[in-house]
Amino acid sequence: MTKEKFIADLQEQLELASALTADTNIKELEEWDSMGAMVLIAYVNENFGVGLNAQDIKEISTIKSLIEKIGVDKFD
Amino acid sequence: MINSNKNYLITGCSSGIGKALTLSLLNSGSNVFGISRDNLKVQEIIEEYPDNFFFKSVDLGAPLDLGNAVEEFVAKYGKFNGMVYCAGKEETLPLSMYTPAKLAELFNINFNSLFEIFRLVSRKKSCEDMSSFVFLSSVMGELGQAGKTGYCATKAAILGLVKAAALEFSSRKIRVNAISPGIVDTPMAQQLFTLIDDSNKQAIIDMHPLGIGKTEDIVPLITFLLSDDSRWITGQNIKIDGGYSVK
Ligand SMILES: NC(=O)c1ccc[n+]([C@@H]2O[C@H](COP(=O)([O-])OP(=O)(O)OC[C@H]3O[C@@H](n4cnc5c(N)ncnc54)[C@H](OP(=O)(O)O)[C@@H]3O)[C@@H](O)[C@H]2O)c1
Repeated sequence: MTKEKFIADLQEQLELASALTADTNIKELEEWDSMGAMVLIAYVNENFGVGLNAQDIKEISTIKSLIEKIGVDKFD
Repeated sequence: MINSNKNYLITGCSSGIGKALTLSLLNSGSNVFGISRDNLKVQEIIEEYPDNFFFKSVDLGAPLDLGNAVEEFVAKYGKFNGMVYCAGKEETLPLSMYTPAKLAELFNINFNSLFEIFRLVSRKKSCEDMSSFVFLSSVMGELGQAGKTGYCATKAAILGLVKAAALEFSSRKIRVNAISPGIVDTPMAQQLFTLIDDSNKQAIIDMHPLGIGKTEDIVPLITFLLSDDSRWITGQNIKIDGGYSVK
């Protein structure tokens, strides 16, 4: 998956009003809450086979940092 | 409360509550038809009880074809005296992430396969009158939790089945009950705990006034429900949760 598609998909899954970019801090989004975290965990698990745990969620901030957590090599 | 020389079908025999129950029944002299997927996880049980443990590796997440296996067991050991459905899948998934296929798989494991095996085993030719059926629901069968829409729905479905089936089978004195545990320390709960942070984990533990459970806290309730000592109990959902649901 390309990073662009990942970002677009995530925006759709999280049902965000504003556009996501690599620099968006996900925790600062108005829509970010525990359900958002659940959606993110499920989406990443399904599409990358990576299980993010509570500590991972704590550590991520920007979408870029999320991509690094998943593993840059997993993107096209 | 001795269940010796009886025949039981136990799903989920390879892990957690189902495994502890299987070992307890085998140890007290019963024959067990065990079902789960992974042969390796039950190798020790097969080796320890080669004559009394009849194992089939089955994926309960897919449609079943178990008629012949049930007949094979009955021909070898005699009719069943009961069944305990312990197999189950816990799933934390927001409603928006479900697909029909995902929901179908979860329902297959937690409910549809239970229904189908119950149907096969409860036939007159397969089980004795006065048999006992025990199905693992969960405190989540009556309560709700965000992210657990699928799981809660499957566990609530079991409670509906138990009430109607108890009436349907009462003329044969066959009893049908559900038990609903709170958190029990098994691989399922351990997996759940890896996904949440320590403060949330502690909060969940604290929600159980008597602490979280162990498999050996659950097995005696199931063996009681399988035994004739519980002969006047049917159609019930028995909570066993260290006080979780009264808080
Ligand atoms: N532990 C708890 O805190 C808790 C609380 C409330 C209710 N419960 C319920 O109690 C029951 C037992 O839970 P547990 O904690 O003992 O779970 P567990 O340790 O995870 O064991 C689950 C069992 O189900 C089997 N299983 C899972 N998916 C299967 C599939 N597709 N096909 C065939 N077998 C499958 C597994 O065998 P294989 O992997 O070898 O196939 C395993 O033997 C479940 O119904 C659960 O929902 C548990």
